Amino acid sequence: MAIIERPGTSTTPVVVTPQQTLGAVKRPVATKGWREWLFTVDHKKIGIMYGVVAMVFFIIGGVEALLIRLQLAMPDGQILSADKYNQMFTMHATTMVFLFAMPMAGAFANYFLPLQIGARDVAFPRINALSLWLLIIGGLVLNASWFLGGAADGGWFMYAPNSGPIFSPSHGVDFWVIGLQIAGVASLLGSINLIVTVLNMRAPGMSLMKMPVFTWMILVVQFLLVFSLPVITVALVLLMLQRSYGATFFDVSQGADPLLWQHLFWIFGHPEVYVLILPAFGIISEVLPTFARKPLFGYPFVVFSGASIGLVGFGVWAHHMFASGLGPVSVAVFSVATMAIAIPTGVKIFNWLLTMWGGKIWYTTAMNFAIGLVVLFTIGGLSGVTHSVAPSDTQQTDTYYIVAHFHYVLFGGMVFGLFSGFYYWWPKVFGKMLNEKLGAWNFWFMVIGMNMTFGPMHILGLQGQPRRMYVWTEARAGEGFFNLGFWNLVASIGSFILAVGVLFFLINVVITARSKQQAPLDPWDARTLEWLTTSPPKAHNFDRIPVVHHLDEFFHRKYEEDTATHTMKKVAEGEDLVRAEGDAADAHIHLPSPSYWPILLSIGVGLLGLGVVYGIPMMVIGFAITLFSAYGWVLEPSVAEEIDFEPSDNDGNTKEIAPLG
Amino acid sequence: MDTVSPVKSLTRRISTTVAGVAGAVVLAGCAQNAPQDTWKPKGDNAQMIYSLDKLVFPIAGIVGVLVSALAGYIFVKFRDKGQAIPAQSHGKPIVEIVLTIVPALILTVVGVFTFRTIMDLAETQDTEMIINVTGQQWWWEYDYPAQADQGITQPIITSGQLVIPEDTNVLLRETSRDVIHSFWIPALNGKKDAVPGRIHLLRMQADQPGIYAGQCTEFCGLSHANMRMEAIALSKEDFAKWVANQQKPYTAPAEGTLAKEGEGVFINQCARCHQVNGIKDANGKAIISAPDENVYSGAAPNLTTLMTRNTFAGAMFDMVNQKCRADVWDAKSEDFGAKYLAGVTEDCLNEKNLRAWLRNAPAMKPMYADPAKLEKTNGLYRGMPNLGLTEDDIDKLVAYLLTLK
Repeated sequence: MAIIERPGTSTTPVVVTPQQTLGAVKRPVATKGWREWLFTVDHKKIGIMYGVVAMVFFIIGGVEALLIRLQLAMPDGQILSADKYNQMFTMHATTMVFLFAMPMAGAFANYFLPLQIGARDVAFPRINALSLWLLIIGGLVLNASWFLGGAADGGWFMYAPNSGPIFSPSHGVDFWVIGLQIAGVASLLGSINLIVTVLNMRAPGMSLMKMPVFTWMILVVQFLLVFSLPVITVALVLLMLQRSYGATFFDVSQGADPLLWQHLFWIFGHPEVYVLILPAFGIISEVLPTFARKPLFGYPFVVFSGASIGLVGFGVWAHHMFASGLGPVSVAVFSVATMAIAIPTGVKIFNWLLTMWGGKIWYTTAMNFAIGLVVLFTIGGLSGVTHSVAPSDTQQTDTYYIVAHFHYVLFGGMVFGLFSGFYYWWPKVFGKMLNEKLGAWNFWFMVIGMNMTFGPMHILGLQGQPRRMYVWTEARAGEGFFNLGFWNLVASIGSFILAVGVLFFLINVVITARSKQQAPLDPWDARTLEWLTTSPPKAHNFDRIPVVHHLDEFFHRKYEEDTATHTMKKVAEGEDLVRAEGDAADAHIHLPSPSYWPILLSIGVGLLGLGVVYGIPMMVIGFAITLFSAYGWVLEPSVAEEIDFEPSDNDGNTKEIAPLG
Repeated sequence: MDTVSPVKSLTRRISTTVAGVAGAVVLAGCAQNAPQDTWKPKGDNAQMIYSLDKLVFPIAGIVGVLVSALAGYIFVKFRDKGQAIPAQSHGKPIVEIVLTIVPALILTVVGVFTFRTIMDLAETQDTEMIINVTGQQWWWEYDYPAQADQGITQPIITSGQLVIPEDTNVLLRETSRDVIHSFWIPALNGKKDAVPGRIHLLRMQADQPGIYAGQCTEFCGLSHANMRMEAIALSKEDFAKWVANQQKPYTAPAEGTLAKEGEGVFINQCARCHQVNGIKDANGKAIISAPDENVYSGAAPNLTTLMTRNTFAGAMFDMVNQKCRADVWDAKSEDFGAKYLAGVTEDCLNEKNLRAWLRNAPAMKPMYADPAKLEKTNGLYRGMPNLGLTEDDIDKLVAYLLTLK
């Protein structure tokens, strides 16, 4: 954080005179307390805040899920009214997708992508901060609806015309539309930022095909977002105009075709599925090689299969609409395209397994979660193949079989990947190891809970229990071993076991935070560049920008192949390598200064959005703040003032960077 | 790190999970009396889908077991036993190519069968009978256009239970009056959305007489969970009887009976929305309901032959008591027709629920029927409101409704 422009010993000190623009406000320089966090543009701090926000929403979304399972544990559940239940499942999905999964992937991307490519920050640090704050504002708007007359109740897919002003008369859908537009802008800005970062800021020698797979998958995801988010934004704007300003885009009596919404939603919605899963694929593509002590098997195949999943992912959206009445030719085309996407996905599974083949597998909690992903995602992938078969899907869609499928993919896949990432990178981010014993409890409770919750849903669905029903009735439950009553109860019990598993993680975080024990610099004998620096990394990430010669650069600096036995022998310790970097620190390290404007602009945008519900005056205030912030942003001095610079060290050495402010 | 026990327990866990899921999926088809079981086809169309399932599920299961077995082997075999760090090999393209082509071939086979079934299920040339199906929050209306070869000489309008002749290719023409609903009778076919402004076609055919459960499966708002339906298949003779009964002229209750008083209550309170074909007021003037003036979506169930159906309120409630219900649901195929056509007798009537419904419908089923909250619809209801009937009115109404057979 902050500007660091330090002279090297051999050069004349560079004095940076901040450019003072007329009427511009001084840049903030705080490095302590809450201000440091509010105005930071450091990708690592922003990454941590993304993580915290996402975790909070994970807990909120989880509580919503538990309420849903409580309601469905018994026939004719009485915990929630129909109205509240509909809000609950709408917000559970919305929260988990937009406010947990995407931001948590954003947390990992923000924190590790610059580190993995040997960069000092992202390309547009202030825009990065803006993305975070817009996301937070969007999340607050979405959830504020709970207290302002009820949340959205149309399902996360918000099909027209049920989302219209007549059929959903509360303001819940309005808050939903506004919140998602704001969060969408956040994601769009973030994706452009990360694409530019990857394309322009890689360390010397790091060609695209030497990039870590995590970075690759994040890059693919950002392209998916860039091309899919505008579509949902259009849909949301149309819905907003209909609900608040009398437009008739989805009003059948005015000649609208409600299927328009479905196409717009799923052209976004299906790539979104890959937006959710690919970061997790990226994470375990780092974790599996690290703990198998082998490079990823078929790196180019994994990379290209990821890219082709992304590409084909744009051509399968209508498989969400096999029962919508598309006509047999469309259905057949989308059915076959959907089968095709199973192929690159299968390639990934095989490559992960073959990465471990012939390895030396070290079972840590991070590795267990990664393996959990491989196995559970395979189950979810195979049930996915069963509904790529369109006629079968007309029996399965909108039943619990689908709920089972995508929770195996998204919980067993995505969430397990993210948890693998937590355990793997925690020592990097916080300099402390998460407790492995508690990690084992965390893992096993989640594995058992997850299978108990979502496994029975395969049965429930094939037995004909539809989704999105606030009650199920004994009359349709059947008898015998596969009666709905028994398996609903099992699923509900499972969901609480799952929650206990997550609780173990939270306890682990607290215990780790209170522990004084520092993590070793390279606890996992890792492979990629983010480990070629201190833990946590300094503000400027790397004392010297590394020059890259290999895929898995860090590993190859530590190991050399023994030509006789074809095994690897260690020639250097990670600590020594990091120290060597420090000894050869770069002369000039320039980091961007904090800024007031991203957070202020986000607040302006939030008020502007709320004006859709609360009227023109609030909109005017929001617009004024937004405009003011935009001007402030443009006119902001490029760096903080000279006074912020600390005097040079006695020895004039550049490697130690003093905190500023 | 402790390496041995997690490996063992992991493999054990994985194998039990896989076996459990595979076993569950296979056995799920064998459950008894699960009325919406998707693996108990009772007609050609559902059978076509089931045949595909019988191809795809075993393939998926076998692939799942093989992959899991490979994974389990790797987890145990290559665990850290103190061996040296292996050479950093980056993969073998030939393996990748094989592992791409094999799934592609399997999926091609599946794809060919899928394509054929999609086309077969879209076939309409063999249609023998047409029924218009209209979804509305939160019930289904079935309207049978006149089609002489099925003995239907004038249109029939009914709701809740779709009645079809056995072994006949029926084509449903689905639409909706408000939001999107989805018509699904798992034993007879997959689901097809009923979308306002569009007509979607769905084939229906039942091999045998019987009652087949279904449920609206597109989320359609507040009472989506309560929007159920049944398909009733009758033998051709029984179907002809059913048609004749639906088309018979209205008989007003005898003067001086409780039912006659009930007819009066009906005319005053119910006939604004609910049509009973042939009903006349005291002056002999035909009474035509105008639900579009009272209900936002524009219709209310036609009650002309209410007591020939054994459910009401969007099939949310049984019109018959538990015993009589079981009698119909569990009837053997050959006895079914007679039992169904008997309709709702006084002994069988589920009086408790019917009375509660008449007393205060919104308390029984979540609907937007609060008169204080109808400004967006200009006072039009979305569902049946509380009519404020007295117990006396309800007695009379029940007596009258029992005559609608």
